Amino acid sequence: MRHRLAPAAEFVPNLAPMVDVIMVLLVFFLLGASLNLVEQGVLQTELDPGSGPGAGARVEIKPRIAIALQDRRDGAAANIYVVDQEIGENRFDALTAYLRDRVRAGADRENPVVIGAETEVRWQFVISAMDAAVQAGFRNIQFAVSMRPRGD
Amino acid sequence: MLKRPPTPVSMTLNLAPMVDVMMCLIIFFLLASKLADHAPVALPWAVAAKTVKPGEITNPVTITVRPARDGGDRAEYLVKSWDGRKVTEQALQPRDIEQLLQAHAARATRDGQPLRCVIRADRAVRYRHVEVVLRACGLARIASVVFQANQGVEAGSGP
Repeated sequence: MRHRLAPAAEFVPNLAPMVDVIMVLLVFFLLGASLNLVEQGVLQTELDPGSGPGAGARVEIKPRIAIALQDRRDGAAANIYVVDQEIGENRFDALTAYLRDRVRAGADRENPVVIGAETEVRWQFVISAMDAAVQAGFRNIQFAVSMRPRGD
Repeated sequence: MLKRPPTPVSMTLNLAPMVDVMMCLIIFFLLASKLADHAPVALPWAVAAKTVKPGEITNPVTITVRPARDGGDRAEYLVKSWDGRKVTEQALQPRDIEQLLQAHAARATRDGQPLRCVIRADRAVRYRHVEVVLRACGLARIASVVFQANQGVEAGSGP
């Protein structure tokens, strides 16, 4: 009598421990990581160490271009002035165009651009003003700060 | 004639496709994400912001300014700094920032390395909150100030 051979058993590795480990890794990355979908960058500037609250003596600064930001509607918008000329509310594109015109008219890019903002202006608008100046090619950007510390 | 019952076959799930998918997800998260090493802040948007590589900004002291969690009109200041041995992060009051920056600036002057102040401010905070740090930089005679921002323009723009 002939015995039929038993069919060869299929060798299947046990993947369960591997799945466990991978799941732990996946949960770790899901919880411990932040997606880097937005490219981050920096805006750099060199402040004048000879002026401002840290200096021993006050110096008179005559900025070539002064940008003023006025708070509107409790932080919802900022009104822009350049050298006392009103540009408009949140019109940072117009500010960039104005500054580019100044460069084309012969303004030195090393001349200081001083950004002064009311205390209640949102930081986004201050950065937008700086962004406009950098886009126009100015390299020396300063910030006006009040001398007296305010309680926070 | 009696038939023998078929030999029972152990039923196992085929986990290979699942492993494939999960490996793909892990590789995606490895490449597309970075471990959160800073307090979460909604940075402002700037078209002219330049990308810098890690370590390109030498001798930095990073100050994060973000709205206070209690929902009021206050800001909280988190300072992350490297003292040569370890990275420390601490929450400071505005009045303490001047002392901290002056201490860092004095150490930087001793070491002959100019200090750079990196300001990571939330786009929704008021200028007076960031002004505290700018004023402290002036008092500490720190000339090099770096503002962090997201590159580009926010859809819908405005804070």
